[in-house]
Amino acid sequence: MAAELLADAHAPIVALRTLLVSGAATALAVIIGVPIGYTIARRSFRGRTIVLGLINTGMGMPPVVVGLIVWLLLVRSGPFGGLDLVYTPQAMVLAQFLIATPIVVGFTTASFQALPPRLFDLLVVLGAGRLRRLWILATEARLGLLVAVMAAFGAIVSEVGASMIVGGNLERSTRVLTTAIVTETSRGEVERALALGLVLLALSFVVNLSLTVVQQHARTR
Amino acid sequence: MNVTFDNVRVERDRRLVLDVPSLHLSGGRTTAILGPNGSGKTTLLRAIAGLERPASGHISIGGARVASPPHVAVVFQEQVFLRRSVRENLSLGLRLRHVDEDEARMRVEEAAGLLGVPHLLDRRADRLSGGEGRRVSLARALCLRAPLVLMDEPLEGLDEHTYSRLLDELPQLLAAFNATTLLVTHNRHEALRLADDLVVLVDGKVHAAGSTRQVALHPGTSRVADVLGYAVLVAGGRRVAVPPHALRLGPGSALEFSMVVRDVVDLIESHEIVGEIGDVRVRVPFESSQSRPVLGQCVIVHAERWSELSDGVQAH
Repeated sequence: MAAELLADAHAPIVALRTLLVSGAATALAVIIGVPIGYTIARRSFRGRTIVLGLINTGMGMPPVVVGLIVWLLLVRSGPFGGLDLVYTPQAMVLAQFLIATPIVVGFTTASFQALPPRLFDLLVVLGAGRLRRLWILATEARLGLLVAVMAAFGAIVSEVGASMIVGGNLERSTRVLTTAIVTETSRGEVERALALGLVLLALSFVVNLSLTVVQQHARTR
Repeated sequence: MNVTFDNVRVERDRRLVLDVPSLHLSGGRTTAILGPNGSGKTTLLRAIAGLERPASGHISIGGARVASPPHVAVVFQEQVFLRRSVRENLSLGLRLRHVDEDEARMRVEEAAGLLGVPHLLDRRADRLSGGEGRRVSLARALCLRAPLVLMDEPLEGLDEHTYSRLLDELPQLLAAFNATTLLVTHNRHEALRLADDLVVLVDGKVHAAGSTRQVALHPGTSRVADVLGYAVLVAGGRRVAVPPHALRLGPGSALEFSMVVRDVVDLIESHEIVGEIGDVRVRVPFESSQSRPVLGQCVIVHAERWSELSDGVQAH
């Protein structure tokens, strides 16, 4: 019964698309956000507190607002309309990336700030170059950085507003689990919506469990 | 490896924290930087290590300007370790300096042996006790075999037993690695015990520099005498510095003072009188065979050793 419901809703393809879109957005947010968080944690500059305040605000930014802004930028009449990205998975990755990045930056900053302040100096005098320092300090802050990844992925895999606005919930190209649940619910297919909800929960659980295993292994090393 | 300061000024939050127009630290010797808290000692060490960029001037190490630290090893005041084994912590600097793996293993074993920590090599470094951590920090710096070793209060916070042992061992260790050593401390005992040369730093400025013996015997000014822990006293219109333990109860030398007794401290094995000469608080040893002074009583004490200071009474 459940299998039929899920097959009708193209659940495997939608789940895979969800994983790819949110996974790509999380990966991009980590690639961009970790060095930014590291820089904010390490450097002291004018306006640092304001930057941190903005990032902390960004951590709680409503996805629907981010979606609206990205849609206004990408829509045909918008400044980047020529790129023809609106209603594509790439647009969804972009929107989710913008939601995830402040979360990654915020947690990364806190993780690096929690390290002993002299650790950076130690690596400098031992002769570690910039990238080597970042790598060694990131391995020292790995518990907090994995929390950043989990929080960012958790936030974007469960958001619906941004994906709906910039992706358009197109059945064959941009439908993800959250937008599929909204669609099925609006059609009155509550059982199918519930089954998709379970798939979403399972997906989130598997990803977070994998990261937790890595995190706890790191803790006990 | 000589270290030379040339018009070095370091600022923090637009405040001048170190101002050294000229200073030369001789290679192959141990130099102590002695000064009270906040005098700029650590800033000076950080500037040599390349961790603090001077607002003006420059520092030369072995003739080359400080830019990167390949010739420097640092023992920080705080115990800083990666959350890895002691062995990994010791070999990290060697790996970063591209030392051959076999050579690195040999150096780690050697430094750990000399510091008495070979049994700790496979323990987590961030879970060591204070004394163990100090030894591992020293081993990490020494196994680099850097020609210049900078140590920032390396014995701070140790219990008395561990402190005395490390203080006894340090000279031999430093000699074994044949390094020019810079020791930052606020402890005069450490400085006098370990250093060939002494630099006295107060408020970011060098107030005395020379051989330890020369500076200790002739502090020159009351600021330097203060840092050395000497009692700065006025006698016959002159200002003199009297080293600790150089005051004796009763008349007996050309330099006598009248002291008001404020307390008699019983240290079980010995006794000392805490008193005031003018407004200077001093301690004078007191034999139990001598008659016990009464609190508030005025007694005569004399100095066995002293040094005349160049800053006059009026200037103070």
